[in-house]
Amino acid sequence: MDPVVKEIFAQVSPALPYVIGVYAALWIGLMGYVGLTMSRLGKLEKHLALVEEALAKRG
Amino acid sequence: MDRKKLTYIVLAVACVATTVGFLLAFFVAAPAQMLRTLDSGKGAIMGSGFVSHPIDFGQKIFYFHVPVAIASFTIFFFTAFYGVRFLMTRDRKYDTKSRIATEVTLIFVVLTMITGDLWTRWSWGVWWTWEPRLTTYFIMMLLVIGYFVLRASVEDEEKRAVYAAAFGIIAFLDAPLSFAITRIVPAGSEVHPVVIGVPGGLEGSQLAAFLISMFGMIAFGYVIYQLRYREERAKERLEVLKAALED
Repeated sequence: MDPVVKEIFAQVSPALPYVIGVYAALWIGLMGYVGLTMSRLGKLEKHLALVEEALAKRG
Repeated sequence: MDRKKLTYIVLAVACVATTVGFLLAFFVAAPAQMLRTLDSGKGAIMGSGFVSHPIDFGQKIFYFHVPVAIASFTIFFFTAFYGVRFLMTRDRKYDTKSRIATEVTLIFVVLTMITGDLWTRWSWGVWWTWEPRLTTYFIMMLLVIGYFVLRASVEDEEKRAVYAAAFGIIAFLDAPLSFAITRIVPAGSEVHPVVIGVPGGLEGSQLAAFLISMFGMIAFGYVIYQLRYREERAKERLEVLKAALED
């Protein structure tokens, strides 16, 4: 780490944990939304495959 | 390349870029100085309090806030683009694409408003101020919400698609205005910092962290758009197949 940045991080800042916390929470939230969408899509595509198979069996 | 495969590759790139951007922002990028550093240089006023070290840690949210805001402008462009394509072709798939792009825009607009508000409170000591950038972006948020209100209020599918396309195109005009407003208005009447494309804006380590974060956020926007579009297409196909199965 850059020595100047290290020096600054060594200083006590009451706000730093909150800034990192908010940043991380929103970032994780965004990734979580992507994960949920992928999970929903996966279920939907499985369902679709089953319906397609049922239709194919019916000829 | 297969669109599905490309989406997963872009997702991996987005995860890596935002992670690297996060780490660079906090551990490498040079920190900013408080705007209101005391004349003595021994402290700064922050909100209603006094801090002994004049380093602006709140500025770190910049590396999330600005990329998310730029991603919202970029994705909103596709609302207008697919709106134009729909009006030209009357192909329903462009209406779906335009709607999905607006949905993704709304996600990024909400993230921009939350991070922007936190930064405003930290740096300026207020939760909100009717400053040109904030005002035009607030109008953009209302327009994006209005797009969905409009869609929900028109029952006829054809009319709904036409009205939404026209509304989306007009609403998008606010995005370039919001982006450029800090450069247009006379100096002194705005407080939003201009750091992109100006001399002395961002130095090397800051610019690297910012560009990587921005690339990651736009990539996330692309991935969410593709996943949601595939979901909508799958739902439509499922409805058609279910109807065929019932016949």
